[in-house]
Amino acid sequence: MKGGYTGKILRVDLSNKEIKTIPTEKYVEFGGGHGMGSAIFFDLVGDQLPFEAFDPRNLIIMMASPFSGTNMPGSGRVDVQGLGPMLYPIEWFGHSNFGGRFTAQLKFAGWDGVVVEGASDKPCWINIVNDKVVIEDANGIWGMDTWDTQEEIARRVMPGLKLGEWAEVSDDDYTTQVPAVVCCGPAGETKSRLGALLHGPGSQAALCGFGGVFGSKNLKAISAIGTGSVPIADPKAFMDTRLWYNQFQWNVDNPREGNRFITGMYKVSAGAPSGANTTNSQIPLVPARAAACASCPRGCRMRLASADSNESVCGGTMTFGGFRGGGGNLKTTRNQNDLMQKYGFGHWQLIPTRGYLMTLYQRGLVGKGKMIECDLPLDQADSAAFPMALMDAMATRKGIGNDLTEGAARFAAKYGLLEEDLHKGALRLTYWGTSDHYDARIEVEWGYGSLLGERDLMLHMMANYPLHWMAWTGDPYLTAEQAAKLYTDAMVPYNGDEFMADYSEKGIYTDSKVKAVAWVKHYEKFWIGAGGFCGWRWPMCITCTTPDGRGPTPEAEPRFWNAVTGQNLSFADAMEIGHKIYTLDRSIWVLQGRHRNMEVFPDYIYDQPSRGSEMPMYIDGQWKYDNGAGRKLDRAKFEDWKTRFYKFEGYNPENGYPTRETLEGMNLKRVADTLESRGRLG
Amino acid sequence: MPKSKEPEKKESSEKKKFSRRDFLTISGAAVAAQALVTTTGCSTTPETAPDTAAELYPESKGYLVYDSKKCIGCTTCMLSCSMVHYGEQSLSLSRIQIMQDSFGKFPDDLQIAPCRQCVTPPCVINCPEGAAYIDTENGNVRRIDQEKCVGCQTCLEMCPQQPHRTIWNHVTGTATKCDLCIDTPYWNEKGGIGGKQACVESCPMKAIKFVSFTPDQKETEGYNVNLRNDHWLNLGLVDSATVVPPMMKNQPPMPKFGPPKPKAKG
Repeated sequence: MKGGYTGKILRVDLSNKEIKTIPTEKYVEFGGGHGMGSAIFFDLVGDQLPFEAFDPRNLIIMMASPFSGTNMPGSGRVDVQGLGPMLYPIEWFGHSNFGGRFTAQLKFAGWDGVVVEGASDKPCWINIVNDKVVIEDANGIWGMDTWDTQEEIARRVMPGLKLGEWAEVSDDDYTTQVPAVVCCGPAGETKSRLGALLHGPGSQAALCGFGGVFGSKNLKAISAIGTGSVPIADPKAFMDTRLWYNQFQWNVDNPREGNRFITGMYKVSAGAPSGANTTNSQIPLVPARAAACASCPRGCRMRLASADSNESVCGGTMTFGGFRGGGGNLKTTRNQNDLMQKYGFGHWQLIPTRGYLMTLYQRGLVGKGKMIECDLPLDQADSAAFPMALMDAMATRKGIGNDLTEGAARFAAKYGLLEEDLHKGALRLTYWGTSDHYDARIEVEWGYGSLLGERDLMLHMMANYPLHWMAWTGDPYLTAEQAAKLYTDAMVPYNGDEFMADYSEKGIYTDSKVKAVAWVKHYEKFWIGAGGFCGWRWPMCITCTTPDGRGPTPEAEPRFWNAVTGQNLSFADAMEIGHKIYTLDRSIWVLQGRHRNMEVFPDYIYDQPSRGSEMPMYIDGQWKYDNGAGRKLDRAKFEDWKTRFYKFEGYNPENGYPTRETLEGMNLKRVADTLESRGRLG
Repeated sequence: MPKSKEPEKKESSEKKKFSRRDFLTISGAAVAAQALVTTTGCSTTPETAPDTAAELYPESKGYLVYDSKKCIGCTTCMLSCSMVHYGEQSLSLSRIQIMQDSFGKFPDDLQIAPCRQCVTPPCVINCPEGAAYIDTENGNVRRIDQEKCVGCQTCLEMCPQQPHRTIWNHVTGTATKCDLCIDTPYWNEKGGIGGKQACVESCPMKAIKFVSFTPDQKETEGYNVNLRNDHWLNLGLVDSATVVPPMMKNQPPMPKFGPPKPKAKG
């Protein structure tokens, strides 16, 4: 291992209070991050599946990538992996990532990742200071909100720390940085399935319910601080590449067509700083800075003069109060959303849970003396007091909060409402208990890609920002034909087929779309997952920041990767590793019970017409932007598409199980053997 | 502040160590000049000692100024610094430090700390080994000779800035500092005066700038300057609630969330 890796992975056994290491070398074939995490999960507990997410055997895995702690743009994220208690109907082996500084500090401390197993007999937290790792008593911290937890742990780790001064981390090692802490809040402590992990004031691992898994392990937090270095195989090549990348960045002093690209939806999607805080965009503006995760040249977040909604973005600023304030004022909105961050609820699933509660209230099913007894002030849902009452009930499991904190799917199931409401679209949990996001009938790489995964895809920089949001502005800077050709030019190794970007009624069932979705899944697993990339930054197939519209993908990724690691990986090589990781993930899901018959959408996707969603479409021999309004997904055509997808990926189309030939071709014989022993080899 | 370390690598002459308080009591160029000629190995000799500070400590021909309100805290500058100097990615070895509090209030949530290339450089004046010196062949940049440094950490103690801008290299046991990228073995670009600086080149916000004039030495504001223009304001990143970005003047109220009616072109 020439560069990028520190060489060792931290393994913490909370049941036996043991600190062990795993040599990184053993998993280098999986790249890093998500890839290594999946392989470690399979090796440690794969043969014990299925078991439940709150079983002590479940793992919390947070793997860094070779890019973590380096200047690779937009690589400051980490995938949390393990069985996800929020997912439905099975707690799939899931992933949820968050940004900030955590993996950078983990690498500087000398670790390529951390694997937590077992459960502590009393509340604890893990203290990583360079090579020294201690399971600490969480006395005085358990019960704290996520913000106080982080500040208290920083004080305990570095008692002499003052912002703006050097502090001693260990003997003769100094830093000006603060420990990077990831923790659960009160929601996680009570094993809420909506429990998130928080790092900083607003960086959430929002999906899968890993905050609840922390709680089930009596684990409050993991803190990392390090003073070491990340080795780089070819520093000159890396620095050259980093400066070459500058041309794709938003030029803050002289942006290309600045007046155009920071208006409306472009502000979020064009790569300009700060646009993702939705509550500070109208006059009077609160003075603020754009704030970035480690090594991100964008800085999509904000830190405000009021310190409200610091570093929160998108759903983290709009779960309560509605977009840009809704019925309340902005100050109240920010505070309500901050309260969510402090409790440690995952915003993306709290939104549909709260929304469904209000739907049932409007239907007369919830309230005092109603079918579902509830003493929350539902008639004052727009008040500032309601969010606190709701979240307090959920975090403490009081009254209806005990049901709601199980998540919308399980809440609906308990009262016999799930089947009807899910399939009629009253409760739009489209993908394994996670919320509908972009229209699965139109923006199909999002819909298909989510269904063929384990939760909402949540990758905006696939077709969503570059194609959908460009068109949605009403002012696209590329024609539909230009966009389709440029975008698919970057989709190595399937490049050259512009119909991968055809979202027409015909285009969503083609072999081209099979390749497109495979490309999305493979990119997701390697570059986003193993590389620790941000889904708001990568891939960059097209961009408004260059005159010709071309982005750095697919040139940048391998240039950076090889400079850091010293490997000689092509983009296509990496995508095949992504295929391998996806196949491994899929094998784990199969061991949990996944079958192709489960990979179907709720009925409303097939039976109810879409409201439409702007995308490039090839209609009557011409490319155009259209929204496809009125479209329903055709069951038979989608099932046929799935058959071709499974074959394309090397899975048995009858059941969706990976075949031995496919697995052995990927050096995954041990996985094939395990599947065969369970009668689930494809 | 790192603990002082006894010189181990080489025999040290009798060192005169100044405390920060001692240093601050020193005033006037003559005293400083005397300190220089007796404790440093810079090219100035007693026989030719000038009698003014300007001649004794020729001003650097380059400085880094920065805009702490424009910085996004990505630490790209820090990692670029360690990369070009050491071929590694390290925050602790970086000669520019970004410190931030994610929970803090703008603008006090973040500080930038590069070397100021002081006109009267305490690190040079007080180095007992002559390791800290003025590089007259390279634009008078204040530097530390790694071969001469014995790791006594006097320069760290003497730097009047908080945090000190001389950096402790825990790997080599020596002190380092910003050289404006004169010595960057891991970079293909020429650095130093007239060249490029890795932090400046890589900062995505253009929040660090190389200048050839001498900033006001008395206040931090001399170095912490406004590098923002109207494009920055148009991002909504104002530093006063009374500021209205040009593009937001006469703007109608923001719409509620929901898709605008598409006017897409083919």
